[in-house]
Amino acid sequence: MEHIKNDILDYLKDNSFMDTNIGLNDNDSLTQNGIMDSIGLLELMDYICEKYDIEVPEDMLTPENFDSLQGITNLIVKLVK
Amino acid sequence: MRLDAYITEYAQKTPHQIVLEEGKISISYSCLDEDIDIIASSMGDFGHCRFAILAESGIQYIKILMAVYRSANIAIPLPIEFPKFSLEQILDNAHVNNIIATEAQYSRYGEDFFGRFGTVVIVSNNTSVKTLRKNIVNEANNPELRLVLYTSGTTGTPKGVMLSDRNLIANGESIIKVLGINSGDKGALVISPHHAFGNSIIDSHLMAGGAVRIGSMNFMESTFSLIKSGVSVFYGVPSTYRILLRYPERFKKAFENVRTAASAGGGMDALIVKEINELSPGTVILPMYGQTEATARLAYLPPEDVSEFIDSIGKPIPGVMLDVFDDENRSVGPDIRGELVARGENILLGYLDDEIATEKKLINGWMHTGDLAQKLPNGYFRLLGRKDDLIKIGDHRVNPREIEKHIENNTEVSRGFVVPVSHELMGTAISLMVIPKEGTEVDALFSFCRKNLPGYLCPREILFIDHLPLSENGKISNRSIIGEYQNVKNSV
Repeated sequence: MEHIKNDILDYLKDNSFMDTNIGLNDNDSLTQNGIMDSIGLLELMDYICEKYDIEVPEDMLTPENFDSLQGITNLIVKLVK
Repeated sequence: MRLDAYITEYAQKTPHQIVLEEGKISISYSCLDEDIDIIASSMGDFGHCRFAILAESGIQYIKILMAVYRSANIAIPLPIEFPKFSLEQILDNAHVNNIIATEAQYSRYGEDFFGRFGTVVIVSNNTSVKTLRKNIVNEANNPELRLVLYTSGTTGTPKGVMLSDRNLIANGESIIKVLGINSGDKGALVISPHHAFGNSIIDSHLMAGGAVRIGSMNFMESTFSLIKSGVSVFYGVPSTYRILLRYPERFKKAFENVRTAASAGGGMDALIVKEINELSPGTVILPMYGQTEATARLAYLPPEDVSEFIDSIGKPIPGVMLDVFDDENRSVGPDIRGELVARGENILLGYLDDEIATEKKLINGWMHTGDLAQKLPNGYFRLLGRKDDLIKIGDHRVNPREIEKHIENNTEVSRGFVVPVSHELMGTAISLMVIPKEGTEVDALFSFCRKNLPGYLCPREILFIDHLPLSENGKISNRSIIGEYQNVKNSV
């Protein structure tokens, strides 16, 4: 679980508007804090599908699953099983 | 008449009618009218003062905007998707002393950011208002000014488009006519309300006594649920439709009861139209063309001509005249290339605090769009590129020379060149070619762009070149840059 979270955090540091000096809490909103926009979220989804060899069902494209570090991590854990 | 007066009118005629919806929240005309009064009273001592608005998309944003109108002040909405330094550039340009913000944005940007303002008003989620400090500076010029929308300013010099009540209402009325909007309609607002297109969705539906459902394009399941919730008019830029069409089955179900799918902000291509037609044959596709300088809209393509004339912008909306002028500002005949010009009650007052730019834009009552065009024999207009270097990236109008200068001034490169390249979802994205110097690192360049440019301007790739991309006559232009890019790609 922790390594998935760190992997997503690294991805965000490299590919989003996130300021690398500012800490991100696990449940902070990525969209409301200006870290991700709609295109960025689609690219993130493509990234996790490829990296973890999963498919995200369309009805799971919700803020609960995609708007925070914790949500994304939980989603991956759920789908990898 | 001011826009907020329509809300008061409907609050009397149809007080219980729902006007705004967002997630599980909805609000009626009478409640909206009362909330606007509460917020407006905090600005009652001001009269015709510039107020920056810092608010995320949502019901609160619309309340604040209408409250600025109701208190007879001037609204300057800040595009919050821009990086902080771009917002600061806009604020420098707008010479604005007052700001009204939501609690969420106040805590996000912090007191440092708000330090520059003499007046700071904070609106909480339950619409209670706190004035942190107050310093009244009245607007001496521009008596008709009501709203300032920024067209560019992600890099380089921002330009504030000044609009009046008359502009807003004239364009709202035209859009209502073209789309046949009535009080039973619910429009979907999933794009930014801080720019002309989003703003026009709010104006036209509220003027018609109808409703607007507010959401975003961030989470597809939520977006499709929003559309399915009884939306009758959906609005998007072409990339909005490209993203939605990635999920054809969902699209089909969600658009089943959507009467009209309207677009603006960039040309709809034939493929998008074909896919929408196949998935939702009952939905009318209505491409529109406009500019912030025209409040929002200038032309539309009538639905019956969408298949045949998708490469044109169609005809002027009611109340607007379009023409094509040559270099001496004389009207030219069909099929001759010139600059598209427009006049009507929706045309801007001018650019904020920039008389020179205003004089170039408005000549003898005609607004010069900067778009090259020709008239077609049937009276429609077809666009033929830009008179200047501006390009559309992800449906945003940008100046590549300003982005290049911004990158050159802030990173370790000798020269940078922005290349428009096609992108599956955005239509057009950016590749960056650079002439490196000692110490140029690709990773550092990418990192700079990600942190300092809005997402749609981040380069998809960075290529090194060793000479200037000059044309045969020794000039650098979009064309010569694209030519050089093709050479580089072909040689790889």
